Amino acid sequence: MTKTLMLQSRIEALLFVVGDDGLTIKQLSQLLGEQDEIIVQAMDALKNAYEKDIARGITVKEMAGVYQLITKSDLADIIQRLVENPTAQSLSQASLEVLAIVAYKQPITRVAIEDLRGVKCERPIQTLVSRGLIKEIGRSEGTGRAILYGTTKEFLHYFGLNSVEEMPPLPEEELAETEQETDLFMTKFQEAFNGAK
Amino acid sequence: MSYEVKLDAFSGPLDLLLHLIHRLEIDIYDIPMAEITQQYIDHIHAMQVLELNEASEYLVMAATLLAIKSRMLLPIHEGEMEDAELEVDGPDPREELVQRLIEYKKYKEAASNLQELETDRAQVFTRPPADLTGLASDEQMALFDLNVNIYDMLGAFQKLMRRKKLKKPLKTTITRQERSVKDQMRSVVDSLRITGGRASFFELFPYEDKPTLILTFVSLLELMKRQVVIVEQDGNFEELMVTLQKEVWEDDENIDVTE
Repeated sequence: MTKTLMLQSRIEALLFVVGDDGLTIKQLSQLLGEQDEIIVQAMDALKNAYEKDIARGITVKEMAGVYQLITKSDLADIIQRLVENPTAQSLSQASLEVLAIVAYKQPITRVAIEDLRGVKCERPIQTLVSRGLIKEIGRSEGTGRAILYGTTKEFLHYFGLNSVEEMPPLPEEELAETEQETDLFMTKFQEAFNGAK
Repeated sequence: MSYEVKLDAFSGPLDLLLHLIHRLEIDIYDIPMAEITQQYIDHIHAMQVLELNEASEYLVMAATLLAIKSRMLLPIHEGEMEDAELEVDGPDPREELVQRLIEYKKYKEAASNLQELETDRAQVFTRPPADLTGLASDEQMALFDLNVNIYDMLGAFQKLMRRKKLKKPLKTTITRQERSVKDQMRSVVDSLRITGGRASFFELFPYEDKPTLILTFVSLLELMKRQVVIVEQDGNFEELMVTLQKEVWEDDENIDVTE
């Protein structure tokens, strides 16, 4: 018991020092000379302790494969008081749409993105590349060997995700299909109804 | 760099179409082409997209809508009908557009999901790593993964910029440099004197910043008005030559430059 507690304090200290660089389980197990599973256990215990204790302002989160200490989200407005004029510098609608397409359909070429959006996407792509959220991950086999884009680690950091799989599932066509089905049902119903009259 | 004012209301023709469909409460699988085309064209008239690049994309969609509309108006020949009895309707000309709209809608929703994540993420904060350079020997630094590529560098640069922004002082005072037209007139005359009383127009503008350029220009005009210098040009498109007329600069001359 004391061993896990000691391990937790060590992990905490290390995470505090590395800040937003974070550490992987592998790195931690190397640094602390423990098995991966033991580290995972201690990490979970640490996370639990943070989450349960309302006297704690920070917690642990795994983002882009590394664990880091973060402030708890309900304290955001307190932290923002440090800044005089907080401005949320978020991505534009166009950039977000391009990013969503890249994230769910990677690897994808610019032309394919443009086909989907029906609008030129050079500028949003440029913005996203320069912000390090997407990158060239290869070339297409076809004519012109167009650049294929994919998301980066920074993308995961930016959205607080651990991996691309963690993204909310793509809104499926189901909704539209059920709509159509109910529509069909309704027309049938109407016909029957009218017939009965 | 040109300054562009952009209407951010719609992020493309498909977005506009979706908006119209939503507003008119139309079934996406049964779009009344005449109505939607009319509405769409009205909208791009109202939007007045000045950027040609974008205007063209909206126009392509308008053309597509018109094409679909006209195809739907074409009568189906009786003979063809018999050939394809099973497919009485034939392919719906709207099918492709509907598919595109549905596909686009999917990613539009995904984008708003991402936006939510973005907002959530903005609620938590981390801090930069502590400076360990005092402790670390080279071998220790090698412990960390040094297999980096250009995108890691870009990511690092982003982080750096963010940190820089954080370290920026909350308040700064911008000092304004005041230079009067009078001073600038004197320095123009001085530089003319150095070049032997004659210089090309461009030689008098070695400055980089706009305010100084304008100031120099105004002072040159003022000097011309006072006939301290004259400006000549040998022919069309030739270089302008500025010649100093009065060798002595009358310091006591009271200069009042009115705007």
